[in-house]
Amino acid sequence: MGSDLDRQIEQLTRCEPISEEEVKRLCLKAREILIEEGNVQVVDAPVTICGDIHGQFWDLMELFKVGGFCPDTNYLFMGDFVDRGFYSVETFLLLLALKVRYPERITLIRGNHESRQITQVYGFYDECQRKYGSANVWRWCCEVFDYLALGAIVDGRVFCVHGGLSPNLQTVDQIRAIDRKQEVPHDGPMCDLLWSDPDDIQGWGLSPRGAGFLFGADITKVSFSNIWNHVLYAVHFAFAVPWNMVPWELDSPTPGIHRLFSGAFAHNNAIDLIARAHQLAMEGFKLMFENRIVTVWSAPNYCYRSPWPGRHLPPPIPYVLVFWRSTRAMTEGAWYPRVFFTFGPGYVR
Amino acid sequence: MSEVPLPPHKLLESPNSRTIEVHGWSITASTNPISNAQECDALYATFGIPLPEMTFGSNVLTLEHKPSGWKYAFTTPGALGEVKNGELGDGDGGVKVGYADKWLESRTDSPSFAMPRTVAKPYDWTYTTTYAGHQYREDEASPSPASSASSLLTVVEAPPRPGPSCESIPWVAADPEDPSQSIPMAELTRQDPIMFYAEIPLFEDELHDNGSSILLVRIRVMPTCFFILSRFTLRVDNVLFRQFDTRIFHSFSKSPPTIIRETSGWEAPYERVQRQLPRREDLHPLTDPGFIAKALAEMPTRISQREGAKTGWRALGTRREIIQLAPSSASTPA
Repeated sequence: MGSDLDRQIEQLTRCEPISEEEVKRLCLKAREILIEEGNVQVVDAPVTICGDIHGQFWDLMELFKVGGFCPDTNYLFMGDFVDRGFYSVETFLLLLALKVRYPERITLIRGNHESRQITQVYGFYDECQRKYGSANVWRWCCEVFDYLALGAIVDGRVFCVHGGLSPNLQTVDQIRAIDRKQEVPHDGPMCDLLWSDPDDIQGWGLSPRGAGFLFGADITKVSFSNIWNHVLYAVHFAFAVPWNMVPWELDSPTPGIHRLFSGAFAHNNAIDLIARAHQLAMEGFKLMFENRIVTVWSAPNYCYRSPWPGRHLPPPIPYVLVFWRSTRAMTEGAWYPRVFFTFGPGYVR
Repeated sequence: MSEVPLPPHKLLESPNSRTIEVHGWSITASTNPISNAQECDALYATFGIPLPEMTFGSNVLTLEHKPSGWKYAFTTPGALGEVKNGELGDGDGGVKVGYADKWLESRTDSPSFAMPRTVAKPYDWTYTTTYAGHQYREDEASPSPASSASSLLTVVEAPPRPGPSCESIPWVAADPEDPSQSIPMAELTRQDPIMFYAEIPLFEDELHDNGSSILLVRIRVMPTCFFILSRFTLRVDNVLFRQFDTRIFHSFSKSPPTIIRETSGWEAPYERVQRQLPRREDLHPLTDPGFIAKALAEMPTRISQREGAKTGWRALGTRREIIQLAPSSASTPA
């Protein structure tokens, strides 16, 4: 499969779709890999975190060109691979082929467009019909969508999700308890993770659309300090030993949490940053809530209308969030977390 | 078919705008990239509503009738200014997404979380606008929203300030008996050469993947007339389709110079339009404003222009108005 897969990757990199039979096999293989992954994937830095691509294959190529191709660079894509652009098929299949080839190097999490209902309206269904003459490819891809992770945590510091938080989810552990292998529901916490938005409000608010939540700056504090409370409790009161030596399988005060937050997390503070996609950020990224949340947008030629002025400038570069590493720093006698990340077209190696 | 001779005219072009000067009219279409974050922030400060994802803040269509000094424009701030900010009331045609009830039902208070009861920041999230362009005055050299978004707004339907030049002329209802006061479809469908054509998108939003909201202005200038169609198209998935058209027509030969403006609001329940799909499984045509317009037009007007989708939207139906320009009342030289 290896060399076959390499050939498919090479072919997809030229923006040429692979055969229907190959798609079928790729999707089956991808499902085998994804089914083993948790709802919240644990990822190590350094990693390049990308926002919506929306079938803009050439934006994705530009991103790889500048940021380094997989597997030289680790990637985390926060969903919305398909719809709207002209090359949803090639974009998604390439990412999927890379996932199958280098499962440890690339993480794919689910966006609200990775759904049967949405793709029927916004172009992916149509594109599969057009390029393959049947809906088979669309159907297989949709089955893969159901297995995609819902979020990821990088170095225990950056929580990555497509949309945002949910009032029903106080801890990352609760996210792990969701049965994710289904079509994106119209309600419930799984829906919130893929659909909700941060806004300049206090606490939780209803969206004027009649469904969906908006969350204010205080929520990003509350929700994640809860996790930290659990961890603090665990570390300070239950075991006065280094995190990785703690026998968590015994009477952990927060059963399950340890499996998510291993190693470095215990030494650090709470989640320092929430990275999400889902909304257009004109300049590629948008920081909110005193830099506790960032929206990343990696499809600069969205709908083929560049917001960058000037017709003679080179094409805009897709923005990504490059998470380098985290450490602690001693400031005024206490340890504070320091997160190193940069925005831009990938890191210079 | 007899060739219609082209009248004398001048075409001017710059990277972001094109102008035609013909029969005493100067018509300019400016198309620019989507507003950047800074421009969006300025517009947000003016209107206080989250802007459409694709806001073409600097796009504009201007018409100037040099003999009378009459000026008319279609601008993005003008259109956004008519989007309801605040709680929606009777006639505003407020809608919710299709799964709103189900969603709300699934949400109940829990010990750790009290369900919010009110909308955080109410506004018309569908960006429904009945903007039909607006007149602006002499002293505003160009209705560039970048320079004066708010000053433009004050012109819309506002009492004219005393000024040295042409003041806002009120639109009067057209005489339904007088065919010369309606838009002559025969003339528009005739295969005359098109001397000038422009498409000016003002905004576009996908309503957070719950549909789409698009406002697009188009103009064509022919040897005997010009015609503008500003079309607002709204789709709320599984709920409704809505359309608001503004058509402006002017025949160069008409004396006194007359502008005919026809505005019409249309609405239909989602499944009513869905039934007209060529292939049932493929919903893609529902994203095409052309398909929607055709579907609405083919429906009995009892539905599309009176009942609508039962939202109580006040803009349903069609109104026709005219303005007669004095050929040489203005101080501006032609």
